[in-house]
Amino acid sequence: MHFENIADGVRLCAQSTDKFKTCRINISMAMPLDKDTSARAILPFILQRRCAKYPDHTTLSRVLDELYGASVSAGVLKRGETHILSFNLTAIDDRFALDGDTVALECVQLLCDMIFDPLRDGNSFPADIVAQEKRLLVEAIENEMNDKRRYALMRCEELMFRDEAYGINRLGTVDEVNALTPEEIYRAWEDVLREAVVQITMVGSMDVYPVAAILRERFASIRREPTTLGTKFISKVREPEYVCEEMPIKQGKLVMGLRTGMQNEDDNTVPMRIAVDIFGGGTYSKLFSVVREKMSLCYYCSAAFFASKGVVMVQSGIEDINEEKAKNEILNQLSLVAQGDFSDDDFSSSIKSLTDSIISNNDTPESICAWYATQMLRGSLKTPEEYADELQSVERQQVINAAKTISLDTIFMLKSNGEAADDED
Amino acid sequence: MMKINEIRNDLLGEMYFDIDHPSGLKILIMPKAGYTSTYAIFATKYGSIDTMIETKDGSFREIPEGTAHFLEHKLFESEDLDAFERFAKTGASANAYTSFDRTGYLFSCSANFKENLEILLDFVQNPYFTQATVEKEQGIIGQEIDMYKDIPDWEVMFNCLRNMYHNLPVRIDIAGTQESIAQITADMLYDCYNNFYNLNNMVLAIAGNTTVEEVLEVADRVLKPVEGKMAQRKVIEEPREVLADYCEKKLSVATPQFMLGFKEEWDTPERTAKEEITMEILLDMISGPSTDLYKRLFDANLINNNFGFEYFTGFGYSCVLFAGESNDPKTVAEEIKKEIKTFRENGFDEKVFERTKKKLYGRMIMGMNDVDGLANNMAVSYFANEDVFTDFETYKTVTVEDVREMLDKTLDERYSTLSVILPN
Repeated sequence: MHFENIADGVRLCAQSTDKFKTCRINISMAMPLDKDTSARAILPFILQRRCAKYPDHTTLSRVLDELYGASVSAGVLKRGETHILSFNLTAIDDRFALDGDTVALECVQLLCDMIFDPLRDGNSFPADIVAQEKRLLVEAIENEMNDKRRYALMRCEELMFRDEAYGINRLGTVDEVNALTPEEIYRAWEDVLREAVVQITMVGSMDVYPVAAILRERFASIRREPTTLGTKFISKVREPEYVCEEMPIKQGKLVMGLRTGMQNEDDNTVPMRIAVDIFGGGTYSKLFSVVREKMSLCYYCSAAFFASKGVVMVQSGIEDINEEKAKNEILNQLSLVAQGDFSDDDFSSSIKSLTDSIISNNDTPESICAWYATQMLRGSLKTPEEYADELQSVERQQVINAAKTISLDTIFMLKSNGEAADDED
Repeated sequence: MMKINEIRNDLLGEMYFDIDHPSGLKILIMPKAGYTSTYAIFATKYGSIDTMIETKDGSFREIPEGTAHFLEHKLFESEDLDAFERFAKTGASANAYTSFDRTGYLFSCSANFKENLEILLDFVQNPYFTQATVEKEQGIIGQEIDMYKDIPDWEVMFNCLRNMYHNLPVRIDIAGTQESIAQITADMLYDCYNNFYNLNNMVLAIAGNTTVEEVLEVADRVLKPVEGKMAQRKVIEEPREVLADYCEKKLSVATPQFMLGFKEEWDTPERTAKEEITMEILLDMISGPSTDLYKRLFDANLINNNFGFEYFTGFGYSCVLFAGESNDPKTVAEEIKKEIKTFRENGFDEKVFERTKKKLYGRMIMGMNDVDGLANNMAVSYFANEDVFTDFETYKTVTVEDVREMLDKTLDERYSTLSVILPN
């Protein structure tokens, strides 16, 4: 792994390998989740479809076709209470280019053109483009309800974190997006270039030095003032809250939000990951093997651990009439883990399974990029192997102790209003 | 003597072993240098479209819709430890899926490969069905069927297929219906198992951190030779016309969703690699992100980022599907049909054709990184009597004239249908 500081708060991480047939680059730019979230959320989409050199999405798309179908995708993520603008590029490795083309380097230039040299209208973005991207972002936000599983999770997060920055939707809200002006978005773009903490992660066989040179040159013209990023961890236990909504659907969705009591991302995080996995991770977990398989209480039931905020979200798909039973059983299974009521086999299964999937990250460029990109705010990066070593050293009692600190915060139930259409076949 | 062939592609720098195992099973192995994980899939040519089972006298008898998927769920169980419990001891991540034309059991792991392979081969070869466990599963799968009814992408597609086809089983949901799965019995599952899960109807495809020796050491020991043959599929009569040219359904979505389908008619039940690739190029030239049509629809606020197309083919069926989200699906459908007409009249630009091929070349290479994708492609190619490099070689032979001819035979709006999901 090659590490290099490109500019103040800008880090390049490159894994040089010819194992893959592609070159993959991720550029992640992190800012705090705050009132400017909507203005920032629209940015990657404005930037990825055009630039000063190729001013509309059709022209740019044709350029990408000529670069052997190189693909660019942009998105926004929430990690802890940071808002990350993420750009990904995949192109074929130069050894497959037909006319001695240097595809990878051209793609890096192109990606930089999109981010640093967008299509501008004075000190703003063109009004027609902003209007179109606003329409698309509003549709994307509204369409988040289409996937009921994700929608229920999102609603539970909104409720649970309504007094915390974590409760802000990474895409912003429909009203905020509708109210955005081109000037505001342009200012958000300038802010991101100046203040974002940036990591560029690269996996492929290309030479890292010319890439670093391009990036250094692009950042050289910016007066950098990197922002400070942090996430509030709440350990205080309150009376659990329950909210239920109805929709015309067939299968109910039950989401339970829990807090781990962690004080920061590294606080007891490895034992906690194992505790959550034994509770609701793999097929050996309590939620899968007991609640789903043995008791048939739900079609799916699992727990996800978000170390970046110290929370656990349990998601399940149930029949509405099973709601009480499912809730009680899920909590019962958590208390069993906290009482140490799991076998040595379950414990070793969990460590083996987590280790296996972490080590497997080495085998796709996407997962290698993601592995390092998620560590962008850390001073030093862990390899999958180093993380796996930490898993091996965890003892059973640490897992029990970790499980004891998990407590229920919020329950969100999405149930049928009895109007789901039957098939008109 | 076991026959081991090497299948190579020099440009890609890839090779894999094609083995006719004495048990009757086809085994395909692609060792990948530098990879830490291995992915294996054990698949049978038996999917949701197989609603007929061949009897001893060569005639066909009907089985309930959704049986292939039901069997997939049940095969994980055994008299003592179920397959998930066995994989839990090794750390592998295991799963299974049923598609229209195959069922696959798979795992990926970065340790204990031989042990995992043994579990996979063993549990798939040892069915254990009882009436009690079948009844329990009816409840679980019933829930799964309900869950899919809340997923708009799924509903818009099956409504489109149901509009298009009168008789072909591709029109039915992969999991079947509450009524059809209620008819399934343990005996029926054994019948289907014996017919479709004989090793001659199956393939084992593996890619990643392994060797031929390692795989055969396990396969020789665990595979039980069987009598049997490749199961035959019955050709089902299907009228040329679509059943209905429009349907809509209400679901809780924000933006309406649509799928526009063009039904095709061919003399042979399956499309060749060349036909598939020619169609991919044709569709990308008409409606891909670089086209005038795409720009027009996008700039008129008629589509968003979720617009795309698919050449949807399998045994007995082939159709083109355009799908997306739009506040005015009917206008989008009309615009697509108009554009097709324009291409029929004006033909294709040679330069655009070359650019599209260049993109396709790159995308095929990009698709060859991941062991899961490679192993699945090896299995699918085998069932199609091809190898995993066939597409890569075939695309070179496609000419703009092929594209023109393909358009002459397909995308006929008289045989099209529009399925829409509206917000409720």
